Amino acid sequence: MREGFALPRTIGAVDMGGRLLNRIILYLELVRMEFVNNLAYRSTYFTGIFNYSIQIGAYYFLWDAIYAGGKVIGGLNREEMITYVIVAWVARSFYFSNLDRRIALEIVEGKIALELIRPYSYQMVKYARAFGEAIFRMLFFAFPAGLMFSVVRPFGLPPDVLSAVLFIIAILGSFAIYAQISMLVGFVVFFTKSTTGIYKAKRIVMDLFSGLLIPITFYPQWAIDIIKLFPFQAVSYLPNMIYLGKATKAGALNIIALQAFWIIVLWIACSLVWRFAVKHVVIQGG
Amino acid sequence: MALIEAKGLTKEFRLFRRREGVLGAFRDLFVRDYKTLKAVNGIDFTVEKGEMVGYIGANGAGKSTTIKMLTGILVPTSGTVFVNGFVPYKEREAYTMGIGVVFGQRSQLWWDIAVIESFKLLRRIYNVPKEDFELRLKKFNYLLDLDNFLHLPVRKLSLGQRMRCDLVAALLHNPQILFLDEPTIGLDVLAKARIRDFLKEINKENKTTIILTTHDLGDIEALCSRVAIIDKGIMLYDGQVEDLYRRWGHDKLEDIIKRIYQGDIPELKENAGGVRLA
Amino acid sequence: MKASSSFRKKAVRYFMIFSHYLAQYMKTQMAYRADFMANVFSELFQQSINLIFIAVVFAKVPQIQGWSRDEIIFIYGFFLVPFGIYGGFLNHLFDVPEKYVLQGEFDRILIRPMNTWFQVVIETMKPELLMGSLTGFALMYYAGTSLGISPEWWDIPIAVGLVVGAALIYAGVYTFLASLGFWTEGNIGLMPMVYNLSHYGRYPMTIYRGLTRFLLTWVLPFAFVGFYPATLIMHRYEYLNYALLTPFIGIITFVIGYRVWTIGVKRYRGTGS
Repeated sequence: MREGFALPRTIGAVDMGGRLLNRIILYLELVRMEFVNNLAYRSTYFTGIFNYSIQIGAYYFLWDAIYAGGKVIGGLNREEMITYVIVAWVARSFYFSNLDRRIALEIVEGKIALELIRPYSYQMVKYARAFGEAIFRMLFFAFPAGLMFSVVRPFGLPPDVLSAVLFIIAILGSFAIYAQISMLVGFVVFFTKSTTGIYKAKRIVMDLFSGLLIPITFYPQWAIDIIKLFPFQAVSYLPNMIYLGKATKAGALNIIALQAFWIIVLWIACSLVWRFAVKHVVIQGG
Repeated sequence: MALIEAKGLTKEFRLFRRREGVLGAFRDLFVRDYKTLKAVNGIDFTVEKGEMVGYIGANGAGKSTTIKMLTGILVPTSGTVFVNGFVPYKEREAYTMGIGVVFGQRSQLWWDIAVIESFKLLRRIYNVPKEDFELRLKKFNYLLDLDNFLHLPVRKLSLGQRMRCDLVAALLHNPQILFLDEPTIGLDVLAKARIRDFLKEINKENKTTIILTTHDLGDIEALCSRVAIIDKGIMLYDGQVEDLYRRWGHDKLEDIIKRIYQGDIPELKENAGGVRLA
Repeated sequence: MKASSSFRKKAVRYFMIFSHYLAQYMKTQMAYRADFMANVFSELFQQSINLIFIAVVFAKVPQIQGWSRDEIIFIYGFFLVPFGIYGGFLNHLFDVPEKYVLQGEFDRILIRPMNTWFQVVIETMKPELLMGSLTGFALMYYAGTSLGISPEWWDIPIAVGLVVGAALIYAGVYTFLASLGFWTEGNIGLMPMVYNLSHYGRYPMTIYRGLTRFLLTWVLPFAFVGFYPATLIMHRYEYLNYALLTPFIGIITFVIGYRVWTIGVKRYRGTGS
């Protein structure tokens, strides 16, 4: 039920624009379907909200204790830090996707071969469905959870409407980058044939270097210099800076431009790995 | 006392009916709407040592529920059951030492380890002396030709091979009774024949009592002199297979069973001994 | 007399079966050697998240509510020892609601002449995750040395008692949660929640306030899987009473968890689903 879906029929001899439109309609339809599918399984999300509360709680207490001295650490004061923790986790509930697990499973079980004979872009289908789920989680998870936390422990809002809008755009960028990284991680299975350790490795890297657990400014300078060379901080740390009003307007636009840069780079990387894998691994029956 | 004695054996399940809609789901939180289903409804059943009994019925007729009560998995709602001197559900651990069970749909062997290692583990679990174990294994090997795959993990076996191994696994401790739940399901003609021959041999040689459920009437024809037919939890017939033919004056078991399911159970003209009418 | 000797027989038999399972498990793992190593190492590296967190934070602040970096690392090290036991033998009680209850694998458990809980535990164990405990010992050694703690001989039996108590807490809580599967017939997502909650035990209880602290001490007693017992081995005696309670809390938690398990099994055998 969750896997099968009907494709809008593509009629031959349509002009480029028509085909593109057709494709877009297909992917939008997939987004909608995944959203509706998730509605049917919504009960699991209630326990999910509690689960996030426990995670946020752990880091809230920890940071609260760390800031007991009341000074500014890593450029953030106590209130900003607590806002940072809550916003980072709530945003994660939106941009998070388990594409890597889904793709790895399809590769291990050999279902990927079936996907290759379908007349669509495998990657776009995956993104579209992940996005449908993300929208679902934003509406039924991130917003209610955020509201709930703001009652339990009030936290700061963005300084102005423009920052809020830019933050939302940046979070969309977080989704894209996170999904692409997950896609690459899933593709690793083409070469290793086994999933052991891969998810954990991704988790360690993302937790530490996206800024979810620690703002990047807390790291020693040499570490910051290295982290900056990777796309991870664009997932959590940089959007949070927009939310907190720590980035100027120009800085915010810079962040979004940086995200766009990484999206393009990762897009190319995904396409190359995909093409290589399909040619050399799948066809050889690996 | 007979080996298996069940009287008025009954199993009821409470089915929870979900109400529709959000309001219904909310009401379900507080007041649940239950419906009682009698999966097995007061059956009497006696089996003597060394018998081989076929137990048949449509899907959902109550076969598996009966087997689960006889093997001690399920606790009956009412009625009494004694098997091999035990009340199965009360002294589960002591009781299961003396029975063997095979579920056709689900292997009991460990998926990832070699068949022979599974057997060795079972030897430990059932406290089988080493000499007995080796003797039995040799015999089973002779009868079922296990050598080719004894060192393969179960996941690499074909269905027929797996079933042979499952049978051996259930018999290594030389149980008094062997319960088989659809042992030939999904097997090809040759594999079926092989398993049937094996069961006959075991029954003849060790006097192992065998109770088997099946949808394949070929199993009954090949193995069982006695058959019990259950439908909607009620025993429709329990008696010799031969008598079935005689009563209906008919020679196709399939047609006879079909008619019994449809409620057509004629009286026997001359009352042959040993017929139990349910 | 007779009862005790039959108990001994039973214990020996269970131990033999356990060793056999273990040997078999290791044998199958050797067939996937690369995966096995990847599993072990990723488990070890998993701990690096929290270690890096501690290192980064303490580069900026000298102490957290009176606890120095090395003390926090010591507590974390102790926390990892029973956590390794949990990971190796209890983590996959997680499978009970879905695999055993919903898919009916529990039928198979019931037709074998062994204790049901024991069977599920040995069928689902992943003993290589016990390696996580080694990280714990290493951290305790490192932090203990730089704190200048000189261990006494009686630290050893005390530590064993505390670790066993802490492991019993995990066993009790996760047995309880797994048992709920007999009623819910499928996963309801409580286990990941409690898993995350158990990680509260790796920091001093002093950082938690009010209800949270009460909950961690008396309801889901994860304060006793890390912080309280660790302070005793660290030779800090402010929480001595709590620390000494660890084995008792462990026994009580396990008794409750196991009791719910037997009630759950009863229910399963009543409904068969």
